[in-house]
Amino acid sequence: MSLSNTSPLQRHWVFAWRSERLLPYLLLAPAVVVTLVIVFMPMVQAVWTSFYDLILFKPNASKFVGFGNYVKLFNDPVFWTALWNTLLWIGLTVPLQMGLGLLAALLLNREFPWRGLARALIIIPWALPSVVIALMWRWIYDPNTGVLNDILVYLSIVQTAVPWLADPDVAIYAIIATLTWQGFPFFAVMILAGLQGIPKSQYEAASIDGASAWRQFIHITLPGIAPVLATAGLLRVIWVANSMDVIFVMTGGGPGYATHTLPLYAFIKARQNLDFGYGTSIAVTFTILLGAFVVLYLARTMREVER
Amino acid sequence: MKFLKTLALGAVLAASAAFTQAQAETVRFWYHFDNPANPMGDLVKKFEAANPGITIEAENVPWNSYYDNLYTSLVGGNAPDAAMVKLFAQPRLVEMGALEPLAERIDAWQGKADLLDNLLDLNKGPDGTQYYLPIQYVVLYLYYRTDLFEAAGLQPPKTCEEFRDAAIKLTKAPETYGFGLRGGKGGWDQWGAFVMSQGAELKPGGLVNPEAIAANQWLIDLFQKDKVIPPSAPNDGFQEIIAAFKSGKTAMTIHHIGSSKDLVAALGDKVSAVPVPACGKGRWTSYGDESLAIFSNSEVKDAAWKWISFLAEGENNVAFNSATGQMTVTKSGSADWKLHERRFVDATIESLPFAKVLPQTSAVSEFVNTAWQTHMQQALTGQITAAQMMEQLQTLFAE
Repeated sequence: MSLSNTSPLQRHWVFAWRSERLLPYLLLAPAVVVTLVIVFMPMVQAVWTSFYDLILFKPNASKFVGFGNYVKLFNDPVFWTALWNTLLWIGLTVPLQMGLGLLAALLLNREFPWRGLARALIIIPWALPSVVIALMWRWIYDPNTGVLNDILVYLSIVQTAVPWLADPDVAIYAIIATLTWQGFPFFAVMILAGLQGIPKSQYEAASIDGASAWRQFIHITLPGIAPVLATAGLLRVIWVANSMDVIFVMTGGGPGYATHTLPLYAFIKARQNLDFGYGTSIAVTFTILLGAFVVLYLARTMREVER
Repeated sequence: MKFLKTLALGAVLAASAAFTQAQAETVRFWYHFDNPANPMGDLVKKFEAANPGITIEAENVPWNSYYDNLYTSLVGGNAPDAAMVKLFAQPRLVEMGALEPLAERIDAWQGKADLLDNLLDLNKGPDGTQYYLPIQYVVLYLYYRTDLFEAAGLQPPKTCEEFRDAAIKLTKAPETYGFGLRGGKGGWDQWGAFVMSQGAELKPGGLVNPEAIAANQWLIDLFQKDKVIPPSAPNDGFQEIIAAFKSGKTAMTIHHIGSSKDLVAALGDKVSAVPVPACGKGRWTSYGDESLAIFSNSEVKDAAWKWISFLAEGENNVAFNSATGQMTVTKSGSADWKLHERRFVDATIESLPFAKVLPQTSAVSEFVNTAWQTHMQQALTGQITAAQMMEQLQTLFAE
């Protein structure tokens, strides 16, 4: 029997096979189209814009400069300052948030009166809008009228008020402290959920075997919440890296360039100086750096977690 | 026949619909008021009652990102029809081709004669065309604490030397400092009183001449060596300098009449004002302008003009100024001025002879928006020297 002599049944089978192969793509198509239009098109356009000398209030003087903006960028001392500040920003904020979150979660996992209320209250910093937090802390840090200096002077910890946000050596750490306060509840809640998923029987078995509280923490608790830490950590790295609203409101990147991070620098260049070409090249460079980090992180951490 | 009737009726209906549509125009208007007591709603109501068929959508846009929003909305094609604008933005807006010339409309307008002299000239565009209609003005002067000056046996300073002398005598750190300097955003106009007065100019070579550098060094020294300025100065904006002055942390500061109500409420008779001191050869203070403009892309220019000219007329302008706390631009409004205590009005008027505006170039916009602040903060905190600050700012004005 030759192939051309296919029976109606076979033909039907081929058709069904084809539509079965096609169907998932058809179902996915709307989502893919939307993602292409609202995510990838602007991304491609951003890369394209970064090849232009485009200043918004000089629309007629726009011209193609190829990698010109990138060459300028790598020769720009502010870029390197901002890159270092960004590393400091992520490298301190996320571990501090995670540490504080872990501590809070362990406390909240214990039995104590009013525990439900405590669990609800701890969310407050996370639930407040960033701008409100930034303004609040700006006044807390204020050397002339702020409460922090008042307390420190009263307790004789410092002799005179410290200009937290006006000192270039201190400003970025002051903002990191603010963001740590804002972000730790996210970790606390995620880790608390992870803790409740660890079966009690494991702790019971360990204590029968004579394991100390510390060893229980190292060998049961930590492995139990490792997947949560890995995922929440990654999310926070991305959010913290991109968040500039708190910095913008608290110092506007100053004093000088002391609190410029790359996203903030891109924002100031593009939106305040209206230099979209250069601003976009900063944003694209930062996206590539962050993307590379995320890939490395995923490759390493997820392997560890699966093991 | 019946068909024709229906057709005719339909045509009439369509025409009347088109007619009402042409009548009902909406003017989108942007402004920025810091004051919580906002009379804009009442002004809009009054205008709409007098001009049926025009609806005003007035939006209070936060000051800190006012111009960022304005420029991007102009480029994005979603700009308002009219807005409050300042002179420093005019060169950029002209370069973008965003402004509608107003000269003919102003000439035909009955309110023109009531505008204070000279304001229209001050507001002219860089190309000599009139795009701006003045709406209010202020002049920066020196606020001082009368009680602290009296206790120290001092007179309000008339020169930079007297100013420094008084600041040193009034400083009892960390409780009190002589002068509240605004080192953060918007502080360039305070800086101008000390540096622009001594020969600094925003033009090629204008910032790196020895007099200008020495003047800048003198100001930085007030912070670093004399320590008569609170250590928070590099990050201090408007809110901070006013809060510090109100709480008695500083004995002098430079701002305009817009904050006088607030200061009098907190300090009563213990606050007064004089023109900024004369420094070196000259005297310089910032003329703070605010105008209204119509954008060239607007489709309701006539209605927009009716609205902005309404705001610049006699009593409407006074109502507008009662919210911003600034000075009216009309002669009829000034004649019977009750919004401010007399001593602050006097200090403003005495300052007018040497009040100046910055040159109108687009580099000035960058100077005002970001560059001055960044470099001043670096100089104050010792990351760069006073001379380096001037050299770096000069690169903005290199031809």
